[in-house]
Amino acid sequence: MAGPEAEEQFQFTGIKKYFNSHTLTGRRNCVLATYGSIALIILYFKLRPKKTPAVKAT
Amino acid sequence: MNQNLFASFNMPMILGIPLVALFILFPTMLIMPSNNLNNNRSSSIQQWLIQLMLKQMMTNHTIKGRTWSLMLLTLITFITLNNLLGVMPYAFTPTTQLSLNLGMAIPLWMATVLMGLRFKTKATLAHLLPQGTPIPLIPMLIIIETISLFIQPVALAVRLTANITAGHLLMHLLGDTTLILLSTYLSSSVITVIVIILLITLELGVALIQAYVFTLLVSLYLHNNS
Repeated sequence: MAGPEAEEQFQFTGIKKYFNSHTLTGRRNCVLATYGSIALIILYFKLRPKKTPAVKAT
Repeated sequence: MNQNLFASFNMPMILGIPLVALFILFPTMLIMPSNNLNNNRSSSIQQWLIQLMLKQMMTNHTIKGRTWSLMLLTLITFITLNNLLGVMPYAFTPTTQLSLNLGMAIPLWMATVLMGLRFKTKATLAHLLPQGTPIPLIPMLIIIETISLFIQPVALAVRLTANITAGHLLMHLLGDTTLILLSTYLSSSVITVIVIILLITLELGVALIQAYVFTLLVSLYLHNNS
């Protein structure tokens, strides 16, 4: 398995420096970003206001 | 007949009191620790087996992983003895109970995962994404790897339960068949008796192999996280 010495051959710039699937840091950040996105989606659906139907006149 | 087929998997009880503790603790009575330097034959063979298992399992581990030696040796000894004792006729096998196997698998797996998160957080999180994954596949693969991580303890427990239960069921079925054939077709019952003997031999092998596989997989999870 590729170790830390293999990461030196990958010289990314920009956002790819932090989010890639080759270096340990990049892979960790991708995992955290995915988990964070899922948590945000769940939070959005839980916290969004529910539309109440209009009350019928009696 | 159906009730008799599954009767051996029911928890034995006396006056409504389950004897599960007795069955689980019984194998420990077969291992007798000794303070002598030169032991009798039985203790010497036990020590030799334990040293063999220790060398085979713990050689590739780090110093931190080797602190689990006693735990893993106890695990393999416990499962092996339970499985082997269950091959005897009319014996109750605790490892056919999914509750026992889950009770062993989940804490051990969770301990390895928590150990990895505590001491190697970056590497443990990074392992959830295989190296070289194409960018469009990254989120899906992370979710798939997470699901496969959580399935590991369930697979451990169900593998052991299913293998031991299946073997015992087969032996019961063939035993019932032999009894029925004894009164009708005697020559066919000879064939079923030979098959039962072969199946018992297979069950002895499965008992040893399943204990080794369970412990080896726990050792592998530990190695990945230490």
